[in-house]
Amino acid sequence: MTAVDPALRPDAPGLASPAWGGFDPARTRGRGWIDIRHSFVTAVRLGWKMEANWTDPLLFFIYSVAKPLASALILVVMLDVISGGAKPEYRAFVVVGSALWSFVLSGMSGLAWMILDDRERYRMLKYLYVSPSDFLAVMFGRGVARIGVGAMGASITLAVGVVFLRVPFEIGRIDWPLLLAVMTLGLTSILAIGLLLAAICMQTRQESWSYPEAAAGALFLISGVVFPLSVLPLPVQSLGLLTPLTWWVEGIRHALFPGGVTAIGGPGSLYTRLSGAPSPTSGEIVVVLLATGAVATLAAVAVFRSSDRRAKDRGLLDQTTGS
Amino acid sequence: MTARGDAGRRTVDAPGRNAFVYRPTASPQEAANWTPRQVAMTNFRTVLGRAYPRVSGLFREKSWVFFEILLPFLATSAFVFVYRALEAPPQYIGFVVLGGAMTAFWLNVIWMMAQQLWWEKSQGNLELYFAAPMHIMAVLFGMAFGGFVMSSTRAAAVLVVATAVYGVSFSVDQWALLIGVFLLTLAALYGLGMMLASLFLMWGREAWHLTQLLVEPVYFVSGLNFPIARLGVLGSVAISILPLAVGLDAMRQLAFAGSAYPAGTPAPAIEAGILVAMVVVFIVLSRWTLAILERRARSEGRLSVRWQ
Amino acid sequence: MSGTGQPDPRPANAQPLAIDVRGIRRVYKVKPKPVVALDGVDLAVEPGEFFGLLGPNGAGKTTLIKILTTLLLPSEGTARIFGFDVERQTKQIRRIMNMVAGGEQSGYGILTVREQLWMFSQFYGLPTRDGWNRVDELIDAVGLDEQREQRVSTLSTGQRQKMNFARGLLNDPWIFFLDEPTLGLDVAAARSVRELILAWKAAVPGRTVLLTTHYMAEADELCDRIAIVDHGRILALGTPEELKKRVQRESVFRIELDRLDGGVGALRRLPGVVNAALAVGDQATTADDRQTVEVNLALVDDAALGDVVGALGGLGAHILALRKSEPSLEDVFVELVGRGFDEVVRDGPDPDRRDHHDRPTGGDRGATDEAREREIEVVG
Repeated sequence: MTAVDPALRPDAPGLASPAWGGFDPARTRGRGWIDIRHSFVTAVRLGWKMEANWTDPLLFFIYSVAKPLASALILVVMLDVISGGAKPEYRAFVVVGSALWSFVLSGMSGLAWMILDDRERYRMLKYLYVSPSDFLAVMFGRGVARIGVGAMGASITLAVGVVFLRVPFEIGRIDWPLLLAVMTLGLTSILAIGLLLAAICMQTRQESWSYPEAAAGALFLISGVVFPLSVLPLPVQSLGLLTPLTWWVEGIRHALFPGGVTAIGGPGSLYTRLSGAPSPTSGEIVVVLLATGAVATLAAVAVFRSSDRRAKDRGLLDQTTGS
Repeated sequence: MTARGDAGRRTVDAPGRNAFVYRPTASPQEAANWTPRQVAMTNFRTVLGRAYPRVSGLFREKSWVFFEILLPFLATSAFVFVYRALEAPPQYIGFVVLGGAMTAFWLNVIWMMAQQLWWEKSQGNLELYFAAPMHIMAVLFGMAFGGFVMSSTRAAAVLVVATAVYGVSFSVDQWALLIGVFLLTLAALYGLGMMLASLFLMWGREAWHLTQLLVEPVYFVSGLNFPIARLGVLGSVAISILPLAVGLDAMRQLAFAGSAYPAGTPAPAIEAGILVAMVVVFIVLSRWTLAILERRARSEGRLSVRWQ
Repeated sequence: MSGTGQPDPRPANAQPLAIDVRGIRRVYKVKPKPVVALDGVDLAVEPGEFFGLLGPNGAGKTTLIKILTTLLLPSEGTARIFGFDVERQTKQIRRIMNMVAGGEQSGYGILTVREQLWMFSQFYGLPTRDGWNRVDELIDAVGLDEQREQRVSTLSTGQRQKMNFARGLLNDPWIFFLDEPTLGLDVAAARSVRELILAWKAAVPGRTVLLTTHYMAEADELCDRIAIVDHGRILALGTPEELKKRVQRESVFRIELDRLDGGVGALRRLPGVVNAALAVGDQATTADDRQTVEVNLALVDDAALGDVVGALGGLGAHILALRKSEPSLEDVFVELVGRGFDEVVRDGPDPDRRDHHDRPTGGDRGATDEAREREIEVVG
């Protein structure tokens, strides 16, 4: 009797085709985190190929130069129109805020547009969905790729601000640990908000392309991006303090421009009223960012799961909705 | 076989009537030769027909009320608070509010018109449009008209609510000119949209990216949140080519006639003249570019290839 | 190998041809090398004809139909629809034609079937009320009454194609272009669409149809004349019967007998019989378990059958079943191209295989014999 190839034995692990020709249950066993990581990395690569525009000068110019720079210049001109250039610290305030908003816009639009693109344009959403890849991992992967685009835009805007707009900046004063912590937590929050928008876009029409920008515009109001929260009415300030983006922007400012203008604290601010302090410390920023980010992430995942169920129930995953 | 009227009423049965036949003609030549009135009425009906899905979509899927009205109002409010933080004169709040309202029309032009033909191609509708007898400009007018319902709702909401909440006071001396400038701005915007639609059709997927280029950079050079005179030469160039820039500047001068307005831009009457010229130029150019680019698309076989 | 290649000999005041294609060539400039989709096509379709373009994927059918529907310009040559030039008189053509393609996913998902069709009726200039009435009539005619108020995005493939068909009839076209209209449809849906096409043609017999398909049976069933297309050229043109006669000059019958004394040799000696062979493997049995004999008979023509039947009686054989075997259009294609449709699909177009395009389209006796013997070989 000849020996049986171990790979063909009925009890062979992995994906071996069983000698008795039946179904191999090994194929239905996933590999847990390995598969999730694989899905994520593949999605990042795919997103990078689709979104990355380093080799296309026009696309690079549009997404990494023109858009973020224009946003910053709008605010700089508004500032100069009123103050006549007399407040350079405010110029740093608006330039940093505007530059960081590139991350927000990229991250939020990345996930939402992935849903709309793959459903309406490429008609691939259903195939991604029914593949064994973890759908959330795929979405986050595509979102991360887009954040990379935003990162380049943010860097260029900051560089232009320092070189041409006289934003005072000293690289030796950067608080690197704070920067790293805040960036990690903040980007996770951005992706969470993007996931929330993606969940909404799963239910809406093709014309939802503008929703991420609309949402980013609204968050712009309450996140202390280009003006201190103290300017807002107190109830609106409370919304801002509950938003992880507010703490993220504040943390980046603390890290890059220690001692600079605070968006959260200051006279008339809700934070100062509640805490008595003129501005939050680095530790407070990290802790609150972690807490608000966690809540945002959990809420986003819950909304996404609910939207996912509704989409399956109503057959929305492969619809096209043009008008 | 029975027929139903457009109100769903059952009409009288027409036994024996051939359901396939409609206004039979003696020959295909007779059917092919339309009178100018037939051509005009077909294009007019096309405008209404193409607007129909846009308008019905608004009532069937209502998320736009939140995303296209409430959130933009909040975005406009952000710039209002920037000026408040800077303790700017009150008319600057009005500038931002007016700019925020006009944003609605600009976004309608670039998202719902400029790249719409490219979208129609990827959906498979474009070749059906070109195979039909109406002019493609009528289709674009219809899209614009349909999108105008949402844009005007958004603009009105931003204007009315922001004016009430932030206490903006307008001071208008020349209502007729203000309304005329507003209508001319819309006409010029939509004419530009039609021209962009034909260009984007040929540029294919780049159209998506070019639309992105027309958001913040155009906001900046159009002086959406500040008087365009502050941009100097750049502002002058913008006024001569961008309907949003010249229209917004003219409307600001007319809407806040009593307050100090930075010098450096033409008077509203002159800017109205610039808008008239833009309307003519854009509509003529769009007709020309659509014809040329249709021929190019037919020559290169691009009317029905989805991935281009 | 071309359709006509000759100037139209009709009187000047005659109705122009529905489709008049002369020397059409279409080259797509793609990388790595240009693709010649149409390579000198001539075609003449009379008004009122149901004309088919039959060929595998990549043959050039869709390219030709896009040229004729004014969506694509030819690289060379001219084409006219009822005398109107496809390059310069597009407006006139678009007023009198319509088109439906298979696998269409066009439309606006958010609209109902009724609304979608009404919108298109406006593009063809129908007054509003007329448009609604016509839409309702066509919805009834195509059998979508229950889906009238259903959103387009919720339609099945077959329902969507019926809706597309209704859209194609809104303007009561003088010429109807159908580009693989049953592509992707199940058997019932495809039959339903074919029946609609025939019903329309019967209702308006003066209208012209150009159908492209790679389904042989569909072309055979629907078309008055067929052009077989491959590699951008028309290889053969004629009615389905004429095309089949190219590969089979004789009439072939399959006959089941209760007995056959003297074997097939006895049959071969009968007048009118060209050849006879047993159908191997088909030893049928009757209800009472008697063995029967199935024979393939090739006769000089159908008229010889009567004499053969009489002679069989003389041999003591009783006929239990008789049916005629006809070659299919695929046999015609194989004869012309040297491969079956499936092989073309599997292997893809071969731009270097030009030798078959130079083969005489009449076919020679040897090739016909080979085809006949092949059939008989298969069954006997």
